[in-house]
Amino acid sequence: MSNQQLVRQQMNTLFSEIQYLIRLLYVTQDPYMKNLTLNQLWNKVDQLQFLTQLEGSACPHTSAISPEVKTMPTALPMSAMPAQPQLPASASVPSQGMPQTQTTPSSQNPQQSFTREQLAQFDGRNGRPAYVAVKGIVYDVTNNAAWSAASHFGLSAGKDLTQEFASCHAGEQWILSTLTPVGRLID
Amino acid sequence: MTEQTILPPEPVTNEAIAKRLFEDAKQKLAEGNVSKPKLVWLELNGCSGNIISLLNGQNPGFEYMITSMANLVYSNSLMIPEGNQALDRLFELLRSNEPFILAVEGAVSLKNNGMYQLVGSYDGKPLTGLQAAKMLGAKATHVIAVGACAVDGGPSAAKPNLSQSVGLQQVLERKIIKLPGCPCHPDWFLGTLSHLIAYGEPALDRRDRPLLFYSTLIHDRCPRLDYFHKGIFSKTLGEPYCLFKLGCRGPVTRVDCPTRRWNDHINWPIGASTCIGCSQFGFPDQMAPFISYETTEG
Repeated sequence: MSNQQLVRQQMNTLFSEIQYLIRLLYVTQDPYMKNLTLNQLWNKVDQLQFLTQLEGSACPHTSAISPEVKTMPTALPMSAMPAQPQLPASASVPSQGMPQTQTTPSSQNPQQSFTREQLAQFDGRNGRPAYVAVKGIVYDVTNNAAWSAASHFGLSAGKDLTQEFASCHAGEQWILSTLTPVGRLID
Repeated sequence: MTEQTILPPEPVTNEAIAKRLFEDAKQKLAEGNVSKPKLVWLELNGCSGNIISLLNGQNPGFEYMITSMANLVYSNSLMIPEGNQALDRLFELLRSNEPFILAVEGAVSLKNNGMYQLVGSYDGKPLTGLQAAKMLGAKATHVIAVGACAVDGGPSAAKPNLSQSVGLQQVLERKIIKLPGCPCHPDWFLGTLSHLIAYGEPALDRRDRPLLFYSTLIHDRCPRLDYFHKGIFSKTLGEPYCLFKLGCRGPVTRVDCPTRRWNDHINWPIGASTCIGCSQFGFPDQMAPFISYETTEG
């Protein structure tokens, strides 16, 4: 089956799911159920939009378009892969893999220790991952939505941000549990 | 499930909601249920961008707003009188003790006791923005801070901040409705004003922004969101994928741009470039860099 057919098939499935959800909304009385359905509807429309845009941009290099292939890149191993400078536009599709430059040390071991100097190398610039430390733990914020361009409200990655976290996110410790720990900071 | 024709509910597009709100206010004004409030538009340290943005308003149009909806007493950019004649209007209003709504654009400059930004001179004496903000802010029934500079200093307070500019809240100890944005969308101001006239103060969040407009995280409603979830990132501005790697501030900016859009609701920043977080507190210094090409790998 060609990519286009596969996309069409998924789109048709989505259309019928959306129609079903709309009908469901009309008969549902329970407000929580309604919210849940609306949320699902939102997700479906998002997926549909993604598929139509994908079809419009027609990436020739995608060998298979199945949602399973595309997970958030944080879940992918950070093992060193050949550096691919100046990738063509289509190469940003993850089915070709998440390129990591060879210059960045492997960092999957949560027991890994970082000195402040080592941490400073993970500043998220020129292809390096973005790490920050809070209360002695080093976290990976490379693909954290709030850390675009490896910066966050004027703060940059590669630093110990314990003070800053305490002053802006007091009482919001849960934020830390959403981050991926990659090691410990040692003095 | 039985198949039957279901009529759609009333339209819920942004234009439709703005229009309904405006029609409500218009009807109440026509019926005499509410009175046409006086409105003062005070311009402090800024670029006049918010009043220019407001001129692009629809539902209501700007002309309707200043003729039938509110009585615009003072706006230094738009009024015909100048000098003493213009400031007379302000002082007469203050003396009359009549209720009025104060909209402020621009930051308050504190340096040299406010001398870095003057509203005008009255009887040969300079009237500083700082004096005007305090004087009018103390008497207004409602104060609306329009745009990034009035809300928290914005570009006027960006480093090195030579004029020591601050947001309006730092010089006024009272409730201020805050409409951050650089500039403020005409709908955000006109909608807030319509709400004030028709129903009173709109529901505000913890940082005094109307929930009506500021409850959506741009990232959550971004048309490029699915690319983010699937890890497909643009490497240049021309590509149609997620702009996260280039420095998009959509994930930290809360406002309804994705669904409202600009210039009569037809386009918005993400259409061509990254979101620079202009409607977030801390803009622009804390939103830098706006674009970065030396960033993490996908």
